[in-house]
Amino acid sequence: MPSGVPPITGDPPVLEARGISRRFGAVQALADVDFTLRAGEIHALVGENGAGKSTLAKIVAGVLRADSGEMALFGEPYAPGSRREGAARGVAHIRQQLSLVRGLTVAENLQLGRPNASALFNARAARAEVTRLSDELGLAVPAATIVDDLPLAVRQQAEILIGVAWGARALILDEPSSALGPVETDALIRLCQRLRAEGTPIIYISHRLPELAQLADRLTILRQGRVVLAGEDVRQADLARIAELMIGDLSLLRVERPQTVRGEVRLSAQGLGAHLDHGVGLDGVSFTVGGGEIVGVVGVAGNGQEALAEVLTGVRRPTRGHVVVDGVDVTGSSRKAIAAGMAHLHEDRATGLAHGFTLADNAIARRIGDRGFARLGVRLPGPVGAHVRELAGRFEVRPPEPSAIAGALSGGNQQKLMAARELERDPAVLVAAGPTKGLDPHAARAMRDRCFAVAERGGAVVVISADLDEVRELAHRVVVLSGGRVTDEFAIEDMTSGRLGAAMAGMARPRPRPRPGAGRGAGAGTGGAPRADHHG
Amino acid sequence: MADEPVVAETHDDVELEASGLERATIGASTSILAVLGALIVGGVILLVSGDSPFSAYGAMLDGAFGSKFAIGETLARSAPLVIVGAGAAVALRAGMVTIGAQGQVIVGAIGALLTAKLFDGAPSGLAIPAAAIGGALFGAAWALVPALLRAYLGVNEILSTLLFTEFAALLIEYLLNGPLKPPAAITPQSDAYPDNGVLGLVIDGTRFHIGVLVAPAVLLGLWWWIRSTVGFRYDLYGENPRLAESLGIPGRRVVLNSLLISGAAAGVVGWIQAAGLLQRLYLEIASEIGFFGLVVAFLGAARPAGILAASLLFGALQSGGLAMQSSEGIPASLSDVIQALILLGFAVRYAPQIASLLRRAARSFRLVPDRSSRASGSTPAAGSARGR
Repeated sequence: MPSGVPPITGDPPVLEARGISRRFGAVQALADVDFTLRAGEIHALVGENGAGKSTLAKIVAGVLRADSGEMALFGEPYAPGSRREGAARGVAHIRQQLSLVRGLTVAENLQLGRPNASALFNARAARAEVTRLSDELGLAVPAATIVDDLPLAVRQQAEILIGVAWGARALILDEPSSALGPVETDALIRLCQRLRAEGTPIIYISHRLPELAQLADRLTILRQGRVVLAGEDVRQADLARIAELMIGDLSLLRVERPQTVRGEVRLSAQGLGAHLDHGVGLDGVSFTVGGGEIVGVVGVAGNGQEALAEVLTGVRRPTRGHVVVDGVDVTGSSRKAIAAGMAHLHEDRATGLAHGFTLADNAIARRIGDRGFARLGVRLPGPVGAHVRELAGRFEVRPPEPSAIAGALSGGNQQKLMAARELERDPAVLVAAGPTKGLDPHAARAMRDRCFAVAERGGAVVVISADLDEVRELAHRVVVLSGGRVTDEFAIEDMTSGRLGAAMAGMARPRPRPRPGAGRGAGAGTGGAPRADHHG
Repeated sequence: MADEPVVAETHDDVELEASGLERATIGASTSILAVLGALIVGGVILLVSGDSPFSAYGAMLDGAFGSKFAIGETLARSAPLVIVGAGAAVALRAGMVTIGAQGQVIVGAIGALLTAKLFDGAPSGLAIPAAAIGGALFGAAWALVPALLRAYLGVNEILSTLLFTEFAALLIEYLLNGPLKPPAAITPQSDAYPDNGVLGLVIDGTRFHIGVLVAPAVLLGLWWWIRSTVGFRYDLYGENPRLAESLGIPGRRVVLNSLLISGAAAGVVGWIQAAGLLQRLYLEIASEIGFFGLVVAFLGAARPAGILAASLLFGALQSGGLAMQSSEGIPASLSDVIQALILLGFAVRYAPQIASLLRRAARSFRLVPDRSSRASGSTPAAGSARGR
């Protein structure tokens, strides 16, 4: 059993947890876990989905109670019975799904539920406090704006700010960067560094190893509820070994991309234009994808990716141009697109699933009216249930229980459920937006394999992503989007940081005229195994 | 089922992951708490004013269920609520918060009377269904403009349906003071409803008329709707409009049809009121059925059993309140107080949403909401309308 690293100074550690265990029904989520958070450090807590990271965070925050084990905060016994109690003792817990109250301003959220708040609500003082802290932390959180109207990244900053205002002496960030783009992630990293410099230690939960290497001081790895690496100094650590410890088998990270056999053009985007009220639309985007080919659309987040996914899948009607699948014009009609064999993995699982619906209803949503699943317009639970059980097994959705609520599944299983719905039958075209975003290495690997399988069976795959590693692992060819235009297009093996950087910055190159098939077979062989653990 | 509460790992995550329908309606436990709380506060009011809560509630119970007449009265008052509630449930499930039922009941009653006059002298077997259809069509027509505005321009249906209720009140005031008013009448009212269209009594000595039997049929219809493939598509749109659109479910049609269905149901209630209970149009033809019907849909979580239970509760409170007044001398307004307290419980539960709505309205009042913000009711349909 790994023991906590003793503190370097004579002072007690900020938080010391010993022998923490917690069971959910048959699942031992945490087994005899020791964890130490020292003053002035950012301590990364990593592990796959379901490794027990969030459970540990919740126990520390007071949301859950441990079945056994004890904790000490600044040397004093600590056993919070609620999040409120944890907050009163100085532990702020910032969750993946933020917990600001909608319909209220940041300042009102600051006062709401504040430990030791005065009985009177002084709106002006609360606004002033938000503004002052926002300045101090180098943020731009508006005090009097209703939180619904703030971008996700700012809402997250607001929540961190509130934690600080409530007197946080330790901060827990549970996958804070999973929904952020690169620029926003950088801002988050700067905020964390600033907080550390001002003496607030942070427990930072994430999958993203490169980010942790940049940010964290020490690192603890959980696997299946047990500590497999305790408080390792990140600067001494080898990322490859960390990845190995996380998943137990490094070979799983190696990408074995199928060779491209670019068949006939199956998806053709022809001069697409789109206008968004907010954000970047599309301005004359054209490209084609052949059967068996995976094309990655890259670019800095917010350069038209959202509009492109909507237009390709028919949810949004372009202002001009056409989307053609296997020779059929499906422009502006998701119904036609689906009939032509289009599948769509939504970037945001909140959009891609009906969270309040059951697993069965989600899995069957595309085929709800199919013969065999309904009679006289009434759904037949029996045949649907049987089919969904089979489907859940095939796509490894856990639990494979048709009546489970989709919103209660883990992120990885939600992604698998979405894949089960969309990829049940081999699609002609798959539009996958950030298909591995926020997934642990195992689940990401499974999603990559799904995409490869579509290509191997002759489907055309478009991967739209702001994550370069994701595209590098998946794509045969890259289309660069900047300001709603295609600024460059090249085979994956021609991707250099210089060329990519120029294109992403909006410097258009003359469009290459690729001879179909030429040079690609060989290229795919050499470029076929970039390692996921290379950080960039 | 689509509308079950979410089971999440911890309590404080449940709220975050609740479905759209959960957010729009009240769960069973909250409803029961609201009712119990209202009864307790009502009891305290009775104590303070020197009456015994037990004898008052006893009289109320007796007046609601204690006799053949009482039961008939309770059912006659519950049936319209069931029908309006079921119609509103279809819209709620599709994510549409319509509060136009009150106006649609009024216009449905007008439509039923006009149709009945057209069929004056025809056999009852023809005249009665014709008037029912007339009421339904007029009710749906009153929902048409708000529905089109919502589907094509993204105009908030809460505001537009409320406005149309005002229009309906003005319309009936004009008609009953003018074109429809018999020369001899002093107060605003219409001619008597044609005899061949009147809904006969099922049980003599009560007000249990044939129209009450429409309610179970409508409930059965809602039961089917929830299990049907078309109902599934509408529910999916209500739960996640963007996903529904990406799965090829036409958002505009869902918006239009769900609002028209709720309007038609309210119109049918107008017919029942005109042809069954009152047999003449008055300004108060709709009483407050439209509004309480919506409350019933909310409290009943847009499900048949819940709507039935909530309708019976409100029907019993109304009929029992009147009986209590005559037997105990306690004003029937006590049952108004209890109904209002139940509503208050509902309002407290949804205070943040209501506050947010008011604040948005105060900050930048405009009928067309900001399309970038989903919370204010924009749809992808509205977005693509712009793209054309």
